[in-house]
Amino acid sequence: MNAKKHLFFALFVMCATAAFADVTRVFHDSQGRPLEATFIKIEGDMVYLQVVATGQTVPVPIARLSVEDQTLVKTLVPATNANALTSLATNASAAEAAAKIDQLVAAGLAQHGVKANPLMSDEQFVRRVFLDIAGRIPNYDETTAFLKKAGSDRTARAQLIDELLASEGYVSNMYNYFAEMLRVKDRVDGGGGNLVRGLPYIQWIKDQMSKNTPWDRMVYAMLSADGKIWNNGATGYLLRDAGMPLDNLANTLSVFLGTDVACAQCHDHPFANWTQRQFYEMAAFFGSTTTRLNGRDYDRRKLTAEVNSLMESSGINLTENRNLTQQVNNLIGANSYAVRDLPENRTKLPPDYRYKDGKAGDPILPKLIHWVPPDKQLKDVLRDDEHNPAYKLAAEVEKKSAAVKKTSKINPSPTTKQSKAAGEMNENLRSIFAAWTTHPSNPRFAMTIANRMWARAMGLSLTANKSVVDNPDDAYNPPLIKHLAKEMVRVKFNLKEFLRIVYNTQTYQRESTTDALAMGEPYYFQGPVLRRMTAEQAWDSYMTLVLGNQIDKIKSNEVDLYGRSVDIDLSNPKLDAKTVLLKVDAVQKIGAKQRAKFGGGLSMAGQEPGETDSMKIATFDGMKLMRASELEQPAPAGHFLREFGQSERILIDGGVKSGSVPQVLMMMNGRAQQMLTNHDSLINREIARQATPEKKVEVIFLSILNRLPTAREQDIAKKTISDQGESDGLVAIIWALINTREFCFVQ
Amino acid sequence: MSNPFLKLDPASRREFMLGTARTALGVSVLSHFDRAFGASAPVPSGVGGKAKSVIYLYMAGGMTHIDTWDPKTGDTKGAKDAIKAKGGFELGGYMTEMAKVGDKFSIVRSMSSKTGVHEAGTYVMHTGYDPRGTIVHPTLGSWAQHFLGRSHKTLPSSVVIGAGEANAGFFPPALAPVPISSPDAGLQNAHSTVDEDTFKKRISLMNEFDSAFREKFKSGDVKAYTEFYDETMNLLTSSDLQAFSLSGVDSATKDLYGTGGFSRGCMLASRLVQSGVRFVEVRLGGWDMHAGVDQAMGRTGAEMDKGFAALITDLKNKGLLDSTLIVMGSEFGRTPRINENGGRDHYPKAYSTVFAGGGIKGGYVHGSTDKDGKEVTDKQVTVQDFIATVGAAMGLPIAQAVMSPSGRPFTVGDKGKAITELFA
Repeated sequence: MNAKKHLFFALFVMCATAAFADVTRVFHDSQGRPLEATFIKIEGDMVYLQVVATGQTVPVPIARLSVEDQTLVKTLVPATNANALTSLATNASAAEAAAKIDQLVAAGLAQHGVKANPLMSDEQFVRRVFLDIAGRIPNYDETTAFLKKAGSDRTARAQLIDELLASEGYVSNMYNYFAEMLRVKDRVDGGGGNLVRGLPYIQWIKDQMSKNTPWDRMVYAMLSADGKIWNNGATGYLLRDAGMPLDNLANTLSVFLGTDVACAQCHDHPFANWTQRQFYEMAAFFGSTTTRLNGRDYDRRKLTAEVNSLMESSGINLTENRNLTQQVNNLIGANSYAVRDLPENRTKLPPDYRYKDGKAGDPILPKLIHWVPPDKQLKDVLRDDEHNPAYKLAAEVEKKSAAVKKTSKINPSPTTKQSKAAGEMNENLRSIFAAWTTHPSNPRFAMTIANRMWARAMGLSLTANKSVVDNPDDAYNPPLIKHLAKEMVRVKFNLKEFLRIVYNTQTYQRESTTDALAMGEPYYFQGPVLRRMTAEQAWDSYMTLVLGNQIDKIKSNEVDLYGRSVDIDLSNPKLDAKTVLLKVDAVQKIGAKQRAKFGGGLSMAGQEPGETDSMKIATFDGMKLMRASELEQPAPAGHFLREFGQSERILIDGGVKSGSVPQVLMMMNGRAQQMLTNHDSLINREIARQATPEKKVEVIFLSILNRLPTAREQDIAKKTISDQGESDGLVAIIWALINTREFCFVQ
Repeated sequence: MSNPFLKLDPASRREFMLGTARTALGVSVLSHFDRAFGASAPVPSGVGGKAKSVIYLYMAGGMTHIDTWDPKTGDTKGAKDAIKAKGGFELGGYMTEMAKVGDKFSIVRSMSSKTGVHEAGTYVMHTGYDPRGTIVHPTLGSWAQHFLGRSHKTLPSSVVIGAGEANAGFFPPALAPVPISSPDAGLQNAHSTVDEDTFKKRISLMNEFDSAFREKFKSGDVKAYTEFYDETMNLLTSSDLQAFSLSGVDSATKDLYGTGGFSRGCMLASRLVQSGVRFVEVRLGGWDMHAGVDQAMGRTGAEMDKGFAALITDLKNKGLLDSTLIVMGSEFGRTPRINENGGRDHYPKAYSTVFAGGGIKGGYVHGSTDKDGKEVTDKQVTVQDFIATVGAAMGLPIAQAVMSPSGRPFTVGDKGKAITELFA
C-alpha cells in the first residue's frame, strides 16, 4: 500500500469513527506551537496524534506538550481505531516500515533531548553494510563499484542491502551469529565422549539461513526434533547438551524467550520472580525426553562380542589393536545418541530442594511460566493468559496432568487406559512447549529475537541485557521494542525481511556515536554504536584481502558423507558384526577424503573456481583459507579466530571483543599478518597492476579501509615509500593499516 | 534490580570491566561490588599468605597415587617397592629424586573427588567448581590478579606452559593466563619478521594513519585497544621478554633440570617467577595409564620426579622457595587394583596432592588411605579444600564472594576450607 492509499484508508476510518469518541482539535507544544490533530492514544510517556494535514499518526513525548494539553490528553479516551492507526499495514514496504521505526526513535530522542547523529557517508556505508550483512569488508572492486553508483543513484544503498541479503555471505554471517548464540560445536555430545559430530546440525542451521526459514519454525524444529543428528540436523540443539537437560532449558529460556532463569536451577531467583519450583515445572516439559538409547533398545554387550569375535576370526589381535576396538566402540556410541520421548516423565525436585512448596524427590508436573508485570496482580495476568492463544494447548495439558495425578493418588495402580493416556501426553510435552514458545502471541518470543536482530544492526540492544526482556518497560525506548516485536510478527518471523527494514532505517544509516558510553546509562539510538569487528568478521575480512570475494564459494561440505558413513541401526536385531566393521572403515576414510581437499596455494587466489569439485582449497602456513563458518567450530586454540575472541562455544554469545597482549602480538607478527604482506596475496597482486605509487596507495586504502586516503595520508605514504623503497614501503603501509583501530572497529 | 551493573549483559559488563580494570592496573571494579555483597571471613590469622608466587604442576590424565606419593605393600603395590625419603615418609619406588628433597615438601594423601571424567576433573581441579553450561569459572591465577592486581609492570601475571589454551573465566580477558605451547618456543608471535628499526617505523606509521580515527572516537574500547598496543610494545622492547627464553639460563642450572620437556617447563616456570610472574602452571600429560603402569611410570613418572625435584632445588638455591609455593595436582588417582593390561583406571575416591615451599611445612604427611589405597581413612580433603589452601597460601580472601557478570556469587575454592596443618 502506498502512502496515498494509507491516507485514504486513514480518512475513511476517521470519518467512520469520528462520531463516537475521537477528539480532533488544535494541540500546542510546550513552546506554544499549534498542531491540528486527532488524539489516538497514550502509551507510557508517549502520546499518539494523527496529524490532520498529513493523515499520519506520530508519537509525541507527553512532556513536549503544553501543560494544559498534558492534563487534557490524560483524560481522553483512546480512539476506537487506535491500534490500526499505530501499526503498519500487513503488506507495508520495507521503506514504510523503516520510516515508522525512525519515527519512534526520533520520539525517544526528543523525549530525552538527544540529537541524532549525522547521516553516514557512502564510504562508511559500504564498509559497515558489508560487514553487517555479508560478514566481511568489501573488496576493492565492490567498494569502487558502489561508490561510483551511489554518486548518481539515490536507490544505490537500498539496492546494495537487497543484494547482500541475497548473497552467500549473508548465510555465513548469520550462521556465525547463531552458532555463537547456540554454542554450536563440532562435537555435540555433552556427555564427555565427543562421539557425535555436530556437522549435520551446523549444515542444518546454514540451510535454514539459506532458505530463510522463519525463525518460529526454526525454533519449533529444534525444540521438537526427533532422531539421530545425521537424519535430522535440528536434533543437534538438544544433543548439544545431552545429559544436561537443566542447563539446556536455562539456555533455551534465555536465548529464545529473553528470560534469565539460570539461578532458579539451583535456588529461587534473587532478583526476578522465578522460583526453583517454577524452573522444574518448565523442565518437566523435557522430562520425558531422552538423548540416548538404552539397554532396552539394544544389547551392546552382545553386539560388541560379535564384532570382536569376527575381528579375531579374521586374524586381528584385539589387544594389539586397541585403536580398532576403540573405533568400534565409538561408532556404536555415536549411534546410541538419538532424541526421542518416552511415556514416563522423570522430572523430580532435586535432592537438595529446600523450599516449603515441595520435598526433594517429589514428581513435578509440567507448567508454563507467566510474565508478571510488577504493577499487576497475578490473577489479572492469568486472566489475560486465558485469552492468550499461546497458552491454550498447555493449559489443557496442565489440566490433564493434574487429573492424572489425582487418579494416581486415589488409585496407585492406574488402569492400562489411564497410563496409556498419561504416556501419550508425556510423549507430546516437548511439542507443546515448542508450540507455546514459538507462538506469535507468546509474550516474549517475538520481542526477544527482534531485540537481538536490532542489537546486531545497531551494536546495542534495546534492553540493558540482550538476554533479558522480562520487563519491556525498562527498555531504552519501550514503544520501540514493543513495535519491533509486532513487526517481527507482522513479517511472520522472516528474519531477512526484518533485517531489510532495520538496515533501511535512517537510524542505521547514521554515523556511529563517537562519545564514550557510560556503563549502564540508557542509549536512545542517535545512531549505531561503534563496535569492534567480531573474530569472524576480522578473519573473513582477512580472507577477502587474500582471496577476494571468491571466499563465498569455498565450502567444506561433507555432511552427507558423514551421515552415510556412520549410520547403523542399533535397534535392528538383524544388525551384524560385518556391517559394523564396514562402517568403521568408512568413518576412517572420511578424514583422508577431507585432507585431500586442501593443498592450493595463495597464488591461485582470485581465480574463478572453474570446477569446484576438483579445486583444492588454499592453505597458508597450515591455515585453511576459508570463511570462519567453514572451519572447525570453534576454531582450535591458538588460531587467529580464537586469539581474536571467537567464542569457545560454551556460553551464550560467548565471543569476546576486547584485546589482549597475545592478540596484539598475533596482529603484529602472526601468520595471518604474514599472509597479507605476502606477494601472492590478492591485495598485493591488485597493487602490482597499478601504474603509480599514488594509485597503489589508493588501492591499499580502498581495499583495507574502504575509503580513499586523505591528502595528509598520501603525503605520509609518499614519505614512507621514498624512505623504505616502494616494495617495502607498500608492505609497511598494509601492515600499518591492518593494525589500526580504524580497521578493526566498525564505524 | 536497582544496581545498573547487574542489568548489563555479560558481554557489555566484560567490556566495561576491562576498561576500568586497565585503568586501575588490573584491580577490577568487581571488588567494590563484592564488599556490598558480604564481608570476607579471613582464614585464621597467621595462616598462609607467604606465597608471593605459585607454580602449579598439573599432572594431566589422572596421576597414580600408589606409585608416587602413597605407596602400599599389599596386592595393590605395583611393580616397585616403596623407598624411604628424607624427612621420614615413604614414596613410590620411581620417586628417587623427590626422595632426596623429602624434607622440603608435604603430601596430602586424603584427597577425594566426585568425578572420574577427565574434562570435568581437570575443570574442578583448576576452578573448584563443577563445569556448568551457563558459566565459566576462573582459575587461580585470574583470581589472584582480581584480588591483588598485576604482579609486574610489563610481564603477564599468569602463564600456562604446555596447555593449548587458557581463559579468565567470568573475569575480563585481561586476567587470562598467557599460554605457552612449549618451553622452547617461548611466547608466541613475540618475534617480528622484520628488524627492530623497521618494526618501530611500522608502529609509528600505524599511529599516524590512525590518529584521525582515534581523535574522533574517544570510546573506552578504542582507548583500551591502544593501551594493549602500548603494553605489547613495552613488553617487546623491554629486557623482561628474556624471561620467556631459556637461552640465558646458566649451564649448571640447565644440567640440574636436564632435557625433558616437563623439566624444561619447570625451568621456565622458575625463570618466570623470578622475573615477576605470579602464577605459572606447567602441565605434564601421559598419566592416563590404563595399560602398563610400570613402563609408563618409567617415562612419565621419572620425568615428573626429575623436574619437580630440580625445581625445588633451583628455587632453594635462588632463595625463592620460601616465597614460591609449588603445588602438584591431578584430576583423580588411579585404581588400586591393577587391571588385566597391567594398567590402573580412573579413581577419584582417594588420591594425593603435593605442596612445597611458600610457607608449607617439610616432611609432613596430611591424612591417609587404608592399606590398599582404596579409602580415605583420615582427614579427608575435597578439591574445594585443595583450591582454598592454595588461595590461602597466596593470602587471597578465600571466603569473600565475588559476583559474576551474571550476578551470581562465587568464592576461591567454592567455600572449601584451607588445610591449616600444612602451613609451617
